[in-house]
Amino acid sequence: MNGRSMREEAARHRATLPRMARLLAPLVVFLLLGAGWQWVALNLKSILPPLGSVFLELAARPGFYLLHLWTTLSAALSGFAIGAAIGVILAILIVHFQVLRAAILPVALMLNVTPVVAISPALIVAFGFNAVPHIIVAAISAFLPMLINALTGLRATDRDAEDVFRSLAASRIETLWHLRLPSSLPHLFAGARLAIAAAMVGSIVSEFMGTSKGIGATIIMATTYLNLPQMWVAIFISALTSLGLIGLVDLAERAVIRWA
Amino acid sequence: MINHTDTSAAPPHRDNPTGIDRPQGLVGDGDKAGQIVVAGVSKVYGRGPDRVEALGGIDLTIPQGEFVTLFGPSGCGKSTLLRILAGLEEKTAGDVTLFGQTPEVAARAKNIAWVPQSSALLPWLSIRDNVLLSRRLNRRAERDPASASRPEDVDRVLRELGLAAFAAHRPAALSGGMRQRAAIARGFVQGAPLMLMDEPFSALDELTRDTLRLRLLDVWQRYRKTVVFVTHSAAEAVLLSDRVVVMTPRPGRIEAVVEIDLPRPRGRDLADSPGFEAKVREVRDRLRRGWEGEE
Ligand SMILES: Nc1ncnc2c1ncn2[C@@H]1O[C@H](COP(=O)(O)OP(=O)(O)O)[C@@H](O)[C@H]1O
Ligand SMILES: [Mg+2]
Repeated sequence: MNGRSMREEAARHRATLPRMARLLAPLVVFLLLGAGWQWVALNLKSILPPLGSVFLELAARPGFYLLHLWTTLSAALSGFAIGAAIGVILAILIVHFQVLRAAILPVALMLNVTPVVAISPALIVAFGFNAVPHIIVAAISAFLPMLINALTGLRATDRDAEDVFRSLAASRIETLWHLRLPSSLPHLFAGARLAIAAAMVGSIVSEFMGTSKGIGATIIMATTYLNLPQMWVAIFISALTSLGLIGLVDLAERAVIRWA
Repeated sequence: MINHTDTSAAPPHRDNPTGIDRPQGLVGDGDKAGQIVVAGVSKVYGRGPDRVEALGGIDLTIPQGEFVTLFGPSGCGKSTLLRILAGLEEKTAGDVTLFGQTPEVAARAKNIAWVPQSSALLPWLSIRDNVLLSRRLNRRAERDPASASRPEDVDRVLRELGLAAFAAHRPAALSGGMRQRAAIARGFVQGAPLMLMDEPFSALDELTRDTLRLRLLDVWQRYRKTVVFVTHSAAEAVLLSDRVVVMTPRPGRIEAVVEIDLPRPRGRDLADSPGFEAKVREVRDRLRRGWEGEE
C-alpha cells in the first residue's frame, strides 16, 4: 500500500533476479499481450483495432491529442491540488478536534460512494460549460484517499516520541509541525499516489458529458463515430499519464523523505 | 521511605557546580522545594472488570541530586509512577510535588527531562538537532519564572557521550546503543533539574548495556541531576543508584527502600566487589520477601 514497501519489494526483485531476466520478463509479457491483442484485432474486428492503426492514429495528429490531454491534465492537477489540500487540512482538524470526526467522516464517505458521473450533470448545471465542473469532480475524487491516508499517518506517531513532546509541554502546533506531519509523510505520499490517479479518472469521466474538450470527450467522440483507433489512443494516453503522475509523486517522495 | 533532606550528603560533583544548587527560580514551601515528594499516590486504570489497581498508596521522598531507581517485576507500576511524576499520567489520588512544583507546572517550565524506553529520536533530524529538541519546543518556558532548567552545551554533551563524530548523522545510521546515548544526551542538554528514565537500556544487548550504564554514571557525576530511573535489573539498580526503591505488584507498592552506600565514582571494577554483590542480594531478598514471584 505505501511507497516504501513497494520500493522494498522492487529492491528484493533486484537482489534476486539477474539483470537480464529483470529486463526481459516484462518485455516478454508485453510481447505476449501484444500478440494476443493482434490476434483478437484480426479475428474479432469490432472489439480491438490493430495496434498499428492505433500508432498511426496518434502519429497522424499528435497535436489533437496533446491539446485534449492538456485540458484533462490541468483539470486533474487543479482538482488534485484542491482535493488533496482539503483532505490534509480536514485530517489535521479531525485529529485535533474529536467532534469534527463525527461531523466530517459520514459526509466524506457519502461523497465518496456517490458516483462522479451522477454528480457531473448537476455541476454543469450549476457552474456552466467550463473547466470548473471537471475540476470539482477531480477534487472530489482526490479528496477521500488523501483524507483517509492523512488520518492514518497523523495518528501513526511514535508513542515514546509523543511522550517526549508532552513532557516538554510542546504546543499542539509544535507537535503537529515537528512530530505529526513529518512522521505522516510516507502516508501522505501514499495518499497522494492514490489521489492523483483518482483525480485523473474523475477528470476523464466528467468529460464524458457537457464538453467537447479533454481525453474523456475524445473517447465519447470516438464512440459516436465507431473510431476504435482514436478510442484506444485516448485510453493509452490516460493510462500512461496516470502512471507518469504516480511516478512524479514517487520522485517527490524520494526527494522529501531522505531519512528512510 | 526516603526522608533525607540533607543534600550535602550526596557525593561532591567534579566540575559542574550548578548541579546541586540548581533550585534558582524554584518556588515552593520550604522543605518541599529541595525534594520530590510523593504522598499517598494511587492509580486505578479502567473500571468494572477491566479495573487494574496499578499503584496503591505510594509514599516516597527523593532529595535533590540523588540517583534513585524504581526496581521491581514487570507490572508493579514502575512506569505508571514515573509517568505520574512526569505529568504524563493522571493520578487517581494523592499528591506529587517536584521541588515544590506540580508535575504540570514543572513540565510547562521544561523542568523535567523524559528519557523513554525507546530512544524516540526523530528520524528526519540529525543527531545534533535531535539532541537539541528541547530547545526548539516550548520556547515560552524560557521566560517562565518557574523554569529551573539551564540548557547545557550540546557539543560538550555529545562529546561526553561519545557522539561528537555522529552529530551530523541521522538516527538510522547509528547502532541501538548509540541511539540510546543520543536520547540520554537529549535529556542532559535540556538541563532540567530532574531526569526521568524508563528502562532506557532494556532493548539493548547485555554488553552494550554494561558500557552504557557506566557512561551514564560518568556523565551524571558531572551534572548531578536528580534522576529517577526505572529498571527490572537488580544489578543495574545497585550499580547506578544512591537508593533502590523495591516495588511489588498487585497493587503496586513500595516494599522497601535500600540505601546503596557504595563509593562513587563507580566503575567497572565495582561489579566484582563483595560489597556490590551483597547489595544486589539484599535488593533481591527484599523483593522476594514481598513477592514470591509467579509461575
Ligand atoms: N494505560 C493503561 N491502561 C490499563 N492498564 C494499564 C495501563 N498502563 C499500565 N496498566 C497496568 O498497570 C499495571 C502497572 O503497569 P506499569 O506501570 O506499566 O508497570 P511496570 O512499568 O512496572 O511494568 C499493570 O498491571 C498494567 O497492565
Ligand atoms: Mg514499565
